[in-house]
Amino acid sequence: MKAIIAATILGVIMMFSSILMKDKKAIITIAALLLAVLLGVNIWDVMATKKGSNFTFLFNNMILISREGLWFNMLMTGCTFLYVLLSGKDIARVGTHTAEYFALIFFILTGVYLLSSYNNLLILFIGIEILSIPQYILAGSDKKNLKSSEAALKYFLMGAFTTGILMMGVTLLYGSTGTFELTRMDFIHQSSVNGMSLAGIIFLIIAFGFKVSAAPMHTWTPDVYDGAPTPFTAFMATIVKSAAFYAFIRLFQNTFGGISNHWTIVLSIITALTLFIGNLTAVFQQSVKRMLAYSSIAQAGFMLFAILSNNAVASQGIIIYAVAYSVATIGMFAVLMKLKDYTYDGFNGLAKKEPVLAFVTTIFLLSLAGIPLTGGFMAKYFVLQAAIMQGQLFWLVIFALLMAAISAYYYFRVIIAMYFKQGNPELHEPLSSGDKFMLALTCVLVVLIGIAPQLFLASI
Amino acid sequence: MDIQQILFIVLSAIAIGCALGVVFSRNPINSVLFLILTFFAISGHYILLNAQFLAVVNIIVYAGAIMVLFLFVIMLMNLNSDTEPQKNWLVQLAGAISGGILFLVLLSALVSATKTLPVMEQGSNDLGLIKNLGKTLFRDYVLPFEISSVLFLSAMIGAIVIGKKEDKFEDVH
Repeated sequence: MKAIIAATILGVIMMFSSILMKDKKAIITIAALLLAVLLGVNIWDVMATKKGSNFTFLFNNMILISREGLWFNMLMTGCTFLYVLLSGKDIARVGTHTAEYFALIFFILTGVYLLSSYNNLLILFIGIEILSIPQYILAGSDKKNLKSSEAALKYFLMGAFTTGILMMGVTLLYGSTGTFELTRMDFIHQSSVNGMSLAGIIFLIIAFGFKVSAAPMHTWTPDVYDGAPTPFTAFMATIVKSAAFYAFIRLFQNTFGGISNHWTIVLSIITALTLFIGNLTAVFQQSVKRMLAYSSIAQAGFMLFAILSNNAVASQGIIIYAVAYSVATIGMFAVLMKLKDYTYDGFNGLAKKEPVLAFVTTIFLLSLAGIPLTGGFMAKYFVLQAAIMQGQLFWLVIFALLMAAISAYYYFRVIIAMYFKQGNPELHEPLSSGDKFMLALTCVLVVLIGIAPQLFLASI
Repeated sequence: MDIQQILFIVLSAIAIGCALGVVFSRNPINSVLFLILTFFAISGHYILLNAQFLAVVNIIVYAGAIMVLFLFVIMLMNLNSDTEPQKNWLVQLAGAISGGILFLVLLSALVSATKTLPVMEQGSNDLGLIKNLGKTLFRDYVLPFEISSVLFLSAMIGAIVIGKKEDKFEDVH
């Protein structure tokens, strides 16, 4: 709860900082400082709850504070901090309203905290809206670029439509159970498991599927991720998506977990489709940015396993996956922002010109592909282990492994371009030693998640 | 059949008929006018459910403010019936099938719903008054109420960021 209040207040401070300061560098510094404060508040929140303690309910059971949720908040704030340190300069380059962009990022974090602690469908709804509306703005922030405006409009229209579907699902669930409160919704009685509540659950699956870009609700993703300014794509594809997933798993594991036989089949078809479409389409992309958009769809397919498997390993898996995927993707996008040309050819010969940049890119890509010793491997290991423990998803696990093999192709294409092809890649500016340090740190984090994933689950 | 049921059926018929009118009328202006009628019929339903305040707000906000905005936009865009894009029949068929399936699902959901509530809220008369609404809003639902301010604040920032004229581009370096 402290974090929710802190994020809002710090967001407002961030917003007003543009009145006092015109210098963009100062604004970036303030944003990083405020994020450090927010991270501190999050750590304080985690410390204040004892390990293995019970849930705390606040505000008429609107909010359920659990240690796991607070831990997730802390990790996501940490990722945001890393993201601002890595690409703060690129955020400032997007447009003139730098302070406002950072303020919106703080408000998105408020949404993230709400989504990790909601116990009421109304809070879920508001949380998802707080998560989405700043994103529409960030997607359209590069006003001189027509593609950015197109992305914002497309995202807004599709998002508004999905909000309607989400609201419809909430209404149907309210109609059949008579409450918005998740801990009071029991599906043990046959009377509340009827067509109405099941239709509501399907509507919620569709709405969440849109937010996490699961096929066939993924159609907005490539255009929006491609059109939006690259720094904001990095944020949308990582922290926001992870938060949506965390909200997804909390609802479906805790509340609808008891009647999983009713929705597992729908979700497993969605998972298979997401893996298939994401991976196969990524193969044919020519632009690395667009490839990363499709890869984020493919990674969402793996994260859906955690929701499908519906057990304790799954909830650990989603946290590890969220962190491993976020850190690697943030790093990958940070590299992409340094380059002028986003196509595969733009990476040709990068290893000769910037060996450090090429090396860290390789580590990030290996992690995304799920090669052992990187975070991506451990993440995939956790979610697939959870799926096997569930018992009935063996066919889907094998399918996922096949798709992971396909994904290696398009990730390795970048590595091949960097190391084995000749070319002269152009950078926006030469790498500073600060950039190098931050990229190396991200790289170390990726490897650390791969070697010692328990560190990132230690406190749950 | 008592008077409330008759009222309910009449209002529902108006609401559904006008909603169909919104979809089927070729002229956008007619669509908007039908939409206003739909909102009025729904406000009637609110009154039947003893939610007087909601009914009034519905008329003021939806039938009043939002509809005027709608009309303005349509007139500014100068839409006519002949500028409407023609969809090919395959898309129309796909839309009809998927929409029909959704309709069936919702229909079966409604049929299988076990609770049947009366069409009119009897009970106390002051249930839907602003006093009770305010009490509930500030006691039970205070958190969603307050937290939605963050939502509005970010929407306002959006209006400024997107709407403001971009001045000279200064570089970070």
